[in-house]
Amino acid sequence: MNTIKITINDTVYDIAINTTILEACKEVGIEVLTICHLEGVSNVGACRLCLVEVEGINKLLPACTTKVAANMVIRTQTEKIKKYQRITTELFFAERNHVCSVCVANGKCELQKLGYKVGMDHIRYPYLFPSCEVDTSHAWFVLDHNRCIMCTRCVRTCAEIEGAFNWDVMNRGNQVRIISDFNTPWGQSTTCTSCGKCLHACPTGAIWPKAIVQGQLEKKPEILKELVEKRKMNL
Amino acid sequence: MPKKKIATVWLGGCSGCHMSLLDIDERILDVAQLADIVKCPIVDGKELPEVDITLVEGSVTSDEHLREILHIRAQSKTVIAMGDCAVTSNITGMRNYFNLKEVFDTAYVNAISNDTEGKVPNHIALLKLHEKVVPLQEVITVDFVIPGCPPNADTIFYVLYEFLNDRIPNLSEAKKLKYG
Ligand code: SF4
Ligand code: SF4
Ligand code: SF4
Ligand code: FES
Repeated sequence: MNTIKITINDTVYDIAINTTILEACKEVGIEVLTICHLEGVSNVGACRLCLVEVEGINKLLPACTTKVAANMVIRTQTEKIKKYQRITTELFFAERNHVCSVCVANGKCELQKLGYKVGMDHIRYPYLFPSCEVDTSHAWFVLDHNRCIMCTRCVRTCAEIEGAFNWDVMNRGNQVRIISDFNTPWGQSTTCTSCGKCLHACPTGAIWPKAIVQGQLEKKPEILKELVEKRKMNL
Repeated sequence: MPKKKIATVWLGGCSGCHMSLLDIDERILDVAQLADIVKCPIVDGKELPEVDITLVEGSVTSDEHLREILHIRAQSKTVIAMGDCAVTSNITGMRNYFNLKEVFDTAYVNAISNDTEGKVPNHIALLKLHEKVVPLQEVITVDFVIPGCPPNADTIFYVLYEFLNDRIPNLSEAKKLKYG
């Protein structure tokens, strides 16, 4: 295997070429915060939580979409990075309506856990309180735009693993929304196979099954990677 | 150390945070050794005297809350926002997705009721709801926050006890932080 030498947080490691910084960090046991990254689907670098400092480059780079290069000197835990991680997390909370106390995902939510990890005790930005729709038209599932953080994990899972291409993204800025087919109610989708994979892909209480109540949500995003791995074995 | 004075106040909240405060159980005796509780929602309606610490539950929803919180700020050395409603506006803030008229109509006009008139009450003695509910930090400087709906009694006690001993509490450890 072709390897190169890189330095992460002052330690030198041999890492296989074509590895992302995120994969390299995982391999050597360094935790990098992520939320749009999902094992089993492609990376898009949407959330900017995984930003790292690379010596010689004066902007922060997303670890999930940046490949390692020979002699790269990477830092993952600087004060600057921590500051940005906290800001990013707060903006996720301020942009839409996260009322954890009445959310199905309460206690099981990746966004909540992220807040705890970055030590977020309050949000320094004014809340936007947008009026968001809740699509309950599907027989079994709900899409609650109030809780969506636009990580697009559902979009990639539906396209890359299920091959159904039900989900997509429309608009820009804070008007950006996940849509089913051509922005029609999910229950009327002609592409959705009702497989439920997006439900496990979603890190928050934005997609959930109707059969549960507040705080009862169980998500298993790891099954998606498992599925992808098993398919490879069958080839 | 001279005894400190503490107050607890209930603005736009459900009283759940005060229930959690009461859940500190016998540790109230530790608090009582270091401080006098000079005002809380179950004492009579006296004005808030000057105090060292005020724990505020709930968000600012009306003219009355606004007047109250400004007075609390003026009278208190340390203001602690207790609970998600005070910190983020939480459930009380959920009416912000609608305009005030829709909110009133839903509650008084369109709600199923044996009051067939369906009138919105507007007696002079009633508080005037603001168009938007806001957390404390939007109207005053808050010195410390305890998120959670409600926060754990252990966390409330920890924060209060640290302040009573002139230490600044640290909630950054994940086990003490809680939303919802
Ligand atoms: S999605 Fe997560 S962070 Fe948002 S309200 Fe639900 S539990 Fe809270
Ligand atoms: S619905 Fe869930 S998975 Fe899809 S973009 Fe929103 S938060 Fe991400
Ligand atoms: S934070 Fe929760 S428990 Fe406290 S007042 Fe608000 S709704 Fe009630
Ligand atoms: S995990 Fe890398 S940008 Fe989201």
